[in-house]
Amino acid sequence: MTSMGKGKPFLEVLSSAIHEDYRFPFLEVFAFLYGLGTFVFASFGVTITATGATNQVTATANEVVAYGAVSSILSLPLSIFIILVFKNIAYGLGSDLEKGIIQTYFSYPLRRRGILTAKLLSALGVALLLFLGIQISGLYILAPDIILPQLGTVLLTYAASLSYPLLIAGIMLLLTLKLRRGGISLVVGLVLYFAMSIVSGIATIFAIVTETPLSLQIISAISPSIVLTQYYGGTLGNFWAPAFSEVLLYTGVSYVIVAFVFVLGYTYFSRRLNL
Amino acid sequence: MSLIVAEDLAKSYGRVVAVDSLNLKLDEGSVTGLMGPNGAGKTTTIKMILGLLKPDKGWVKVFGQDPWDNTAIRSMIGVVYEKAFFPSHQKTLDYLQRVCRIFGVSESRAMEVLELVNLQEASDRDIRALSAGMLQKFAIAHALVHSPKLIVADEMTANLDPQARSELLDVVLKLHRDEKVAFLLSSHILPELSRVCDSVAIINRGKVWAFGKLSELYEKYAVGIIRVTTDNPYALEAEIRKLNYVKELESDIRGISVRVAEGKEDKLYEDIPKLAKKIKAKILGIETGSASMQELYRLAISAKERK
Repeated sequence: MTSMGKGKPFLEVLSSAIHEDYRFPFLEVFAFLYGLGTFVFASFGVTITATGATNQVTATANEVVAYGAVSSILSLPLSIFIILVFKNIAYGLGSDLEKGIIQTYFSYPLRRRGILTAKLLSALGVALLLFLGIQISGLYILAPDIILPQLGTVLLTYAASLSYPLLIAGIMLLLTLKLRRGGISLVVGLVLYFAMSIVSGIATIFAIVTETPLSLQIISAISPSIVLTQYYGGTLGNFWAPAFSEVLLYTGVSYVIVAFVFVLGYTYFSRRLNL
Repeated sequence: MSLIVAEDLAKSYGRVVAVDSLNLKLDEGSVTGLMGPNGAGKTTTIKMILGLLKPDKGWVKVFGQDPWDNTAIRSMIGVVYEKAFFPSHQKTLDYLQRVCRIFGVSESRAMEVLELVNLQEASDRDIRALSAGMLQKFAIAHALVHSPKLIVADEMTANLDPQARSELLDVVLKLHRDEKVAFLLSSHILPELSRVCDSVAIINRGKVWAFGKLSELYEKYAVGIIRVTTDNPYALEAEIRKLNYVKELESDIRGISVRVAEGKEDKLYEDIPKLAKKIKAKILGIETGSASMQELYRLAISAKERK
């Protein structure tokens, strides 16, 4: 046997996982849907309308335009991205655990965390790359003069919008590992995803009635797109006009929570997962 | 050198004790069978050996190391599971070439191992298109890619037809003879183990009830066994049962295995033809010390239970 580097088994398992997760026609269909969502729904006017009597938006007009543009192209592709990630984690990783393919991977000279990283890079990383690649390319093609000067706003909007889906993906990962099948985690993922719309709606009503932003601030810690919406086009300006630093703080906190969930998943997979 | 050493190994699933204080030692170059009924603890033992399960108690060392998440050991072991699963949308040869790259061996080895298990004609087939037997052969080819020193196989012939079983056992014998590969084979199909194993560990209720070279175990548990082959075993069994020096007997479609009191073997040799004549049965053969693996298993278990 010849000597080998540590990278090769990892790259081969990653390549095998990508081959399975994105076999024809998944990659093609999802790329098409991302493209469709990006180019059809793109809107470069200010789409945020103030419903409150006094709207104290703290962002500049250019930032608001950039935010509005990103929001317009995010709506459908973000849902498609979530479907793809949910499929890859629940169906891909779940069935690999259930059928014993992970057991087969465990016979290769690669640490458990390497195997999970390869699986997650395929399930999440490639999906994210495809999503962001098409979205940002689309933005650049459609409105380079709006996007390039406001790259920070664009990236922050993506970061804030993706954090909750990533948190759900992390929770689904934990459930999939614990149950060693994906069906239940897929249901939980979908419930959590739709629950956020309901919960944020209730929190908004609660905030308006009580005239205190506490309920929205709490939810912003796991779904910072709420604080971002308030920052760029807040409808609750009377009692909550978050500063930019606040937006960054909530976004940061949300990613700390996401990271914590994934660390839990890694720890469980590496140290405790019995097959 | 010992390839596998397990000491005081224990594993429970909730209240169900799967393995309880199991001790095992496997030497280099041996073909050892893990023999036991369904639910005896064979698969759980194998999973702990492979580092897929953490023992609740005790320890296991493979090549002198803890197998949990140990990449060095994986380069020295080939694994065949009862139900083989691989990423299914890839072609057999392509996937084995991938495995070659994973282990850092030449990609030409992929075709070599396919030929070794007579699967070369399926080299361009998708893995999902393989039959159960072909998939199991593919699993063996997969386990051989990196020329391991030890192959651990859990019920590897369970889903196969007799022809495919026989072919796989031929592969085991060939690898052991030509490449000095050691095997740990778990099975509840005892004739298979008797064909290829030089040692067996009899596992029951999560413990090793007997372990050693096959010859030693026969000497220990099957002494005083006489095998009578006849055309009418059930009628002859009824007659032999009446002999007061017969301690145990078991019949099957081809004959009867009789265990007699010490020093009574010659007496049985005298009585058998008389009894056969009485019931008009034809004696096809009488042999001493030729208990089947099945009988050896039963005798070892009953000897342990008597203790």
